[in-house]
Amino acid sequence: MTTLSPNVFKSELKPIWCPGCGDYGVVQALYRALSAIGRPPHEVAFISGIGCSSRIPGYSTAYGFNTVHGRALPVAQGVKMANPDLLVLVAGGDGDGFSIGGGHVPHAIRRNMDLTYLVMDNQVYGLTKGQLSPTSPRGLETVTSVYGSFEQPINPLLTVLSAGAGFVAQGTPADMPGLATLVEEAIRYPGFAFINVQSPCVTYGEDDQQLRAHKTRMKSLDSVGHDPSNFMQALEKSTQYGTELYTGVFYRNPNPPKSYDVLVRERQETLKPAAVPRERMLDMFLQK
Amino acid sequence: MATKGIDFAKLNLRDALDLAVLIEEEARDRYEELAEQLEVHHTPAAAVFFRKMVRVEEIHRSELEKRREQLFGKSPVMVSRAAIFDIEAPEYDVVRASMTPFEALEAAMKSEVKAHDFFAAVVPRVSDPEVKKLFEELRLEEVEHQQWLKVEMQKTPAVKDVPGDQSDGPNEQ
Repeated sequence: MTTLSPNVFKSELKPIWCPGCGDYGVVQALYRALSAIGRPPHEVAFISGIGCSSRIPGYSTAYGFNTVHGRALPVAQGVKMANPDLLVLVAGGDGDGFSIGGGHVPHAIRRNMDLTYLVMDNQVYGLTKGQLSPTSPRGLETVTSVYGSFEQPINPLLTVLSAGAGFVAQGTPADMPGLATLVEEAIRYPGFAFINVQSPCVTYGEDDQQLRAHKTRMKSLDSVGHDPSNFMQALEKSTQYGTELYTGVFYRNPNPPKSYDVLVRERQETLKPAAVPRERMLDMFLQK
Repeated sequence: MATKGIDFAKLNLRDALDLAVLIEEEARDRYEELAEQLEVHHTPAAAVFFRKMVRVEEIHRSELEKRREQLFGKSPVMVSRAAIFDIEAPEYDVVRASMTPFEALEAAMKSEVKAHDFFAAVVPRVSDPEVKKLFEELRLEEVEHQQWLKVEMQKTPAVKDVPGDQSDGPNEQ
């Protein structure tokens, strides 16, 4: 296998995220993970929605598509079906994934294409200057909740676990090497893989959500004896989203089912003998 | 500040030199990244200082690389960047739009202290006397860098950014 430097995946475009933003560490973790996987940029595609974190495709030399708000997953599934050999990574924020695109998440999970979905969860709409997002904690004061939010936040980990995701993990750029390892593991998982990345918004985020706070709060799941093959344990741990900052793999299905793209290939092989030859396909539509 | 998969008790001089090269390389690349962030966000004075640090770290890196080549030639490098994180590199969250040159100096000082503490912590774990000597030398160099930064800080107005004043012009991309 050829060794690729992480810098091979770095594009000439300079990120315009705010200085100190967590997404800088996330993109470095992605470069590292892709370098460890060893597939060249032309075999990789980044698909994103809209938001600060959705700018990621521009910062990579891999193929990229910065789609429309909340529609990264449908486009990514289309890309994967059109070219199943591509390694497809999906990136977006908590608003893009769990509000505007929230309806796509369970269906992408149950379809189970071999995709890696990274949500950069900063609990706020940063790009539009600090409104409540679906993962904002109850009581958060923002420009759209001046006296504090009444809303129960979505728990991304519990949401994807309950929808049946086979690989669920959480990381933070405060532990960039750990995050790179998680991304690598997620890519290697043969099916839909989800990583919730606690990536702080340096401009509109709360103090206790910043990288400095992560460094003291984060607790690896390994260190608390978590068994990632135990689904019930994963559910229990995921309920602590918002109170504990667990990092690592919550759940990895020990017997992953075949992914959608593999099943499609198999069906194509099964149907091939009965298929109409290409040169006779037009005959079906023409009266002779 | 972390290392992964390095057994300091078994570290030989060649790998120790390669590790030192990578530590300087990581710091150089991080200063470059932070300088770019500040340039994009109209904070040129702090960016100029980080650019200076890029050159300083590159000088250190190339000196170590030359030494490695003199001793061991072009033999393969057995340690990788994946084995280190934030040893001398400033952390991602030390920068802010509109930070002052003094704050940039403070960030660099923290990194030099961090690097010093790293070498101080690993020296007792090293068995090879030559590696011990090298790490001790690098630890003392970090002290010299701290002295240089202290002098620079004395020459720089101790002005800090006003919290909440994050006015920043639009960017095109």
